[in-house]
Amino acid sequence: MHISDGILRPEWALLWYAVAIPFIAVGIWEIKRKRENNPAYMPLLAMVGAAVFIISVWHIPVPVTGSCSHPIGTPMAAILVGPFATVVLSSIALFFQTFFGHGGLTTIGANTVSMGIMGGFSGYLLFSGMRKVKSPLWLAAGFAGFVGDMVCYIVAALELALSLNPGSVLSHWALYSIGYMPTQIPLAVAEFVFSAGIVQYIADRRPDLLEMRIGGGVVNA
Amino acid sequence: MPDKFTLIAIALMAVISVSLAIGAYVGYKSGSEMEGTDAIVEDTAASTVGAEATAIGPAITDVVGEPAGFTIAGIIAGFIIGYYWPEVFRRRESDA
Repeated sequence: MHISDGILRPEWALLWYAVAIPFIAVGIWEIKRKRENNPAYMPLLAMVGAAVFIISVWHIPVPVTGSCSHPIGTPMAAILVGPFATVVLSSIALFFQTFFGHGGLTTIGANTVSMGIMGGFSGYLLFSGMRKVKSPLWLAAGFAGFVGDMVCYIVAALELALSLNPGSVLSHWALYSIGYMPTQIPLAVAEFVFSAGIVQYIADRRPDLLEMRIGGGVVNA
Repeated sequence: MPDKFTLIAIALMAVISVSLAIGAYVGYKSGSEMEGTDAIVEDTAASTVGAEATAIGPAITDVVGEPAGFTIAGIIAGFIIGYYWPEVFRRRESDA
């Protein structure tokens, strides 16, 4: 989902920046508010930020398809530190990833929308919904990871189709999505596993962090 | 003798490393390029309009190569996570 410089038309690159910036602004406000309530929030934020950076840059080989790709980590991050704060972490991670040949400076907005906003929020909303119907914590976190990963790549495909193929958006959106899926589905399963494991581990060790994040009723149901 | 947490962390690291190595080995042995899907799909999309990916700034991986570059990234992220881990997960006195 890392779109490079030179791929998107300038007006689309600017539009995605315009979409991402309000989310980043709210995320900065969310971080300031939460760090006042819990001193452990900032260390957790730093840890999750480093995790998102490395999870979303490290290519994992998928021998079945003969290619490789990476999970995104933002659904798990949204559960742990909040969806808006996750957008901030994503934009920072994406900036540093440009120095590792992933993505581009002009496309940080577009990549933030797919990975940070759509990946994070879709996972977070699914997690919250499943917890409200008494789903086990690990299962809700796992499905959040799986779905958030899929949504991220579907949105990245849409970004490419909207910018490059305005006359045939739907057919090219489908084409690019199908291009991502064979490799991404096994990695979404991996995203299910580590999202479920890490969230459950933190809930066991530091339930106060999750209670602060989404409300005790949702976590402890 | 390392504590239980360290043993689990080392075992987990070994499992992940072996899984990655086996995945890459099987992929290359089957004759695949093991190229990233981001680049594959992006190149396909760009080819429909004759666009081409460019790089505005230099990348660390251009200088040291991808294996060394991603190792550097992993080390940096690992140090950050390790540095903050005790602060977040240290058992509180009330739990003891």
